Amino acid sequence: MIKTLLVLLLFSALSERVEAHEMVPTYPQWGPSHVQGVLKTQMEMFNKRQDVEYYEVGVFDKDWKAVPFVSSYKLFRLKYLGHVKFDIYVRADDVDRAEYVCSKSKLRGGSSAETMLSSRICSRFK
Amino acid sequence: MKKIALALLIAGTAQAAEIPIVGTVQSRCVINTDTAGVYGNPNAYTLTTTPADGGVLPVVRYDVSLADAYKAKITYPTSFSTSPSLSDMVTWTGSVTVQEVSNVNMADYDTDAVTYDQTKEYDLTVTGTTWFKVASSATYGGGGNKAFPGGTYRAMVVAECIAK
Repeated sequence: MIKTLLVLLLFSALSERVEAHEMVPTYPQWGPSHVQGVLKTQMEMFNKRQDVEYYEVGVFDKDWKAVPFVSSYKLFRLKYLGHVKFDIYVRADDVDRAEYVCSKSKLRGGSSAETMLSSRICSRFK
Repeated sequence: MKKIALALLIAGTAQAAEIPIVGTVQSRCVINTDTAGVYGNPNAYTLTTTPADGGVLPVVRYDVSLADAYKAKITYPTSFSTSPSLSDMVTWTGSVTVQEVSNVNMADYDTDAVTYDQTKEYDLTVTGTTWFKVASSATYGGGGNKAFPGGTYRAMVVAECIAK
């Protein structure tokens, strides 16, 4: 009886699809960096989407115009169930303009007939 | 025999170490794909996610751990991301609606939502989970009901979660 229950639980756990995109913190803060006149913040991302391997990062002002920034990679690979911390550097002159930092899933074309979901999560500087 | 078992037990106890479990709780918004949509083909010139026509409605789930901190923006497709070469016009229709909520206080999400172009914007004022279903239909031939060429068709739903 218990064995049957365990097998059923195992199957239900295996059959459950985890397909999620998340990024923290919601409200990042700028801090000093090792370069004078440049400020830094750190973001953290998790990829629980099996269909996505690449994410694009962007910094935007309140009107969704791009703000110049530097990061290790603007487009980076994050494997399924992977987790990464990345730094974003912005000139001190641009800090007041920077309103959002966003990560967007990059999708590949495929042959299945399913609709695809492009996900984007934006944190906000307050 | 009993002495050996006792010795093993003591040795095991002596070697046991405390293993800490560390976790950080942060406010976050998580976008989940609960159901991938599928286009049904009820006639030669229509592709639709309507279940009655053989389609499957895509379902997007938002998990929010901080009240009144995020906006959800969901956009239904207006073009194919993958398709055979199309020489005629495709007419797109669609909608986004709340399918299910985890908290009764989310009941007004649909009525309070703002719609513009193909996008519906929801104010996520309550902590918890909301499921949104997205309907999408494409008709080929610009009203002339022309048959879609054979091949695979894929379109993209855009789901965004933006901190307020």
